[in-house]
Amino acid sequence: MSLRGLVKHFDTKLAVSQVNLDVPAGSFYGLLGPNGAGKTTTLSMAVGLLRPDAGQAFLLGYDAWADPAAAKARVGVLPDGVRLFDRLTGPELLAYHGLLRGMEQATVDQRARELLEVLELGVGNRTLVVDYSAGMKKKMGLACALLHAPRLLVLDEPFEAVDPVSAALIRDILQRYVAGGGTVVFSSHVMEVVERLCDHVAILSDGVLRLNGPLDRVRGDRSLEEVFVQVVGGRVATGSELAWL
Amino acid sequence: MTPGVLPFVRLKLRLLANGLRGRPARIALFLLGVVLSGVFAIIGYAIFAIPGVAHRPGAAAILLPLGGAVIVLGWLFLPLVFFGVDESLDPARFALLPLRRRALLRGLFAAALTGLPALATLAATAGMVETAAQLGGPAAAVGELVGVVAGLLLCVAVSRAVTSAFATGLRSRRSRDLAAIVLAMFAAAIGPLQLVVLAGAQRADWGAVGTVAEVVGWTPVGAPYEIGLEIAAGRWWAALLKLLIALVAIGGLLRWWSATLENAMIGTVGSETRRTATDRHPVALLLLPRLPRTRFGALVSREVRYWWRETRRRASLITFTMVGLFMPVGLSVSDSSPGALVIFMGAMAALGLANQFGFDGSAYAANVTAGVPGRVEIGSRAAAHAIFTLPLLEVVSIVVGALYGDPGRIPSTFGLLIASYGVGLGLVLPVSVRAAYAFPASSNPFAMPSGGSQAKGLIAFGVLLGSIVVSLPLQIVALLLGPVWMWIGLPVGVAYGTAAYLIGWNMAADLLDKRAPELLAAVTPNR
Repeated sequence: MSLRGLVKHFDTKLAVSQVNLDVPAGSFYGLLGPNGAGKTTTLSMAVGLLRPDAGQAFLLGYDAWADPAAAKARVGVLPDGVRLFDRLTGPELLAYHGLLRGMEQATVDQRARELLEVLELGVGNRTLVVDYSAGMKKKMGLACALLHAPRLLVLDEPFEAVDPVSAALIRDILQRYVAGGGTVVFSSHVMEVVERLCDHVAILSDGVLRLNGPLDRVRGDRSLEEVFVQVVGGRVATGSELAWL
Repeated sequence: MTPGVLPFVRLKLRLLANGLRGRPARIALFLLGVVLSGVFAIIGYAIFAIPGVAHRPGAAAILLPLGGAVIVLGWLFLPLVFFGVDESLDPARFALLPLRRRALLRGLFAAALTGLPALATLAATAGMVETAAQLGGPAAAVGELVGVVAGLLLCVAVSRAVTSAFATGLRSRRSRDLAAIVLAMFAAAIGPLQLVVLAGAQRADWGAVGTVAEVVGWTPVGAPYEIGLEIAAGRWWAALLKLLIALVAIGGLLRWWSATLENAMIGTVGSETRRTATDRHPVALLLLPRLPRTRFGALVSREVRYWWRETRRRASLITFTMVGLFMPVGLSVSDSSPGALVIFMGAMAALGLANQFGFDGSAYAANVTAGVPGRVEIGSRAAAHAIFTLPLLEVVSIVVGALYGDPGRIPSTFGLLIASYGVGLGLVLPVSVRAAYAFPASSNPFAMPSGGSQAKGLIAFGVLLGSIVVSLPLQIVALLLGPVWMWIGLPVGVAYGTAAYLIGWNMAADLLDKRAPELLAAVTPNR
């Protein structure tokens, strides 16, 4: 995935400004940033969900805005804060996504059952997705993104609201996926996860890309959290405010 | 501490103002709403003031209670069928505040009174005060003023209580059938009234209408509007009694609303029946029988399930069914021609798709990331809607044929229905891509975004008007051909409707291919 000069305004506010980012094939790429930094906006523009005001996004070499069909066919996306078609049951939803991607029926059936089993969502589960817990919905979304075996995964906050057991499972799946030659880009604001998983990171704040590159180079000899807080310009409580607490 | 009603009113006005800020399209819609309300108010005032200015107490005794009843019933039905309720003050948002239910109810009621519809209604019915003043002097005028205000309170109470109850009913899946029956009963109640009025008006049988007016005058829907007339006639006891009837009705409705409000605040009742596990294959579970195992099949199957499983869509289907069954009954008794009705019904069926992407909300992102071509997307949605609508239209044509005692007309009526449905789709499909809007994240299927009622109403009005104009040639041909039309009506109607649909389908698909991300942004509710 590579982004070239992406810009997005909302009304008069500049949400993302001139983001250039190259994600090498086969890398595990973490996009870090505080709340409201423009992570979701950037990823939405990259996968063709939000039209950028300027700039280009290439997915596996295909321009996501000039040739969307080719680009979208090769990418799996887990958007954040977006509902699934949650009035379907889990198996129905996976079948829907599979057929939407133009897959063979037999392949859809086989992969859907396997995904439901591995992610512990229940193969014969007939509860509607709307009645799932937040963590189950996240896993369901991930299953939908994985179903067509894309070579690039773009995941927005894949670990949010997921319990530790499921998070470990998802980490495992993603690591194996990268080891098999796939590329993962995901956003998060949890340092530990990024530090443990990623070989590359980028730090975004106020819509500007502050730092990016291989993890070791970005981090140097400090912890990622120190670098992050310094780059973003956060403040540390001095002890004099909120004295009434 | 219980806050007064002012904070609620201020909150509502603030929400309205913020909704308009920096959005020229919204402002234009709002101004149009102001103009239309003004026109309604002036015409209403004039009509209700005529009997007084002309000094015709007899006419007043008919016009005031019946006119008042029409207004009250309008407040009851228009939100259910066309407009939805402006739920910018969603009760669920107040659930965490330390508010007593009485205070909350008072506040929400005051907020509901704040708005164009209430203002326009008050101005229109003020014409009745003029009439009362002309006929009975200041005392009657004061009495009628009290009555008109009571009438307004009744209107608002009725619309809030019924939509709230209906929404609560539809929310739990088990009681959806009950809700359908309740609406059918309301529709049935408006039927006879309309029939008698229309029949009476056509035969100029003012005696019968007068009797009806007298009866209506003693029901809550007509009573408040007759208070001034009773005073003018010197019957103080009747005036007091009618005021009492109105007040009791308002009190009862508020009590009912308060009961359903509790439900709305707590949210969905988790009375989901546990479904047993299944070992059928996922694809077989999703696809309806006889649909191709392709993208198109998957989209149609999902749409069909959504029409039934999602409350908003289900509400629109049920409402349309009821209107479809009861409108012909109403019109047949008054002996008017079914032609106009048929075109109206077909176009109204298509209106169900006017904000089809809004129903999906942000879930539509799945189709955007999968890169579904516009032609498949639009075509599958229309197909799924037609699966529900065509049988319904068939039933409507049978009902019309049976009521007019002319079964031979059923096929040609069906043809005309399909033609107008196709024309309606042809207009609605591009509109649904171009003018989509997000529904609020409320579980009330009638809830509309602030200002959305006007948008929805205008779109509905435009599509109805457009469909009637576009279907007019066919209607004229039908009239000219007479008996021949009975034979060729069905194929010609199908061809006409299909052609109109194909044009709209093409336009909508091209628009969608260009604007899918913008459409997604438009239907995603603000977080």
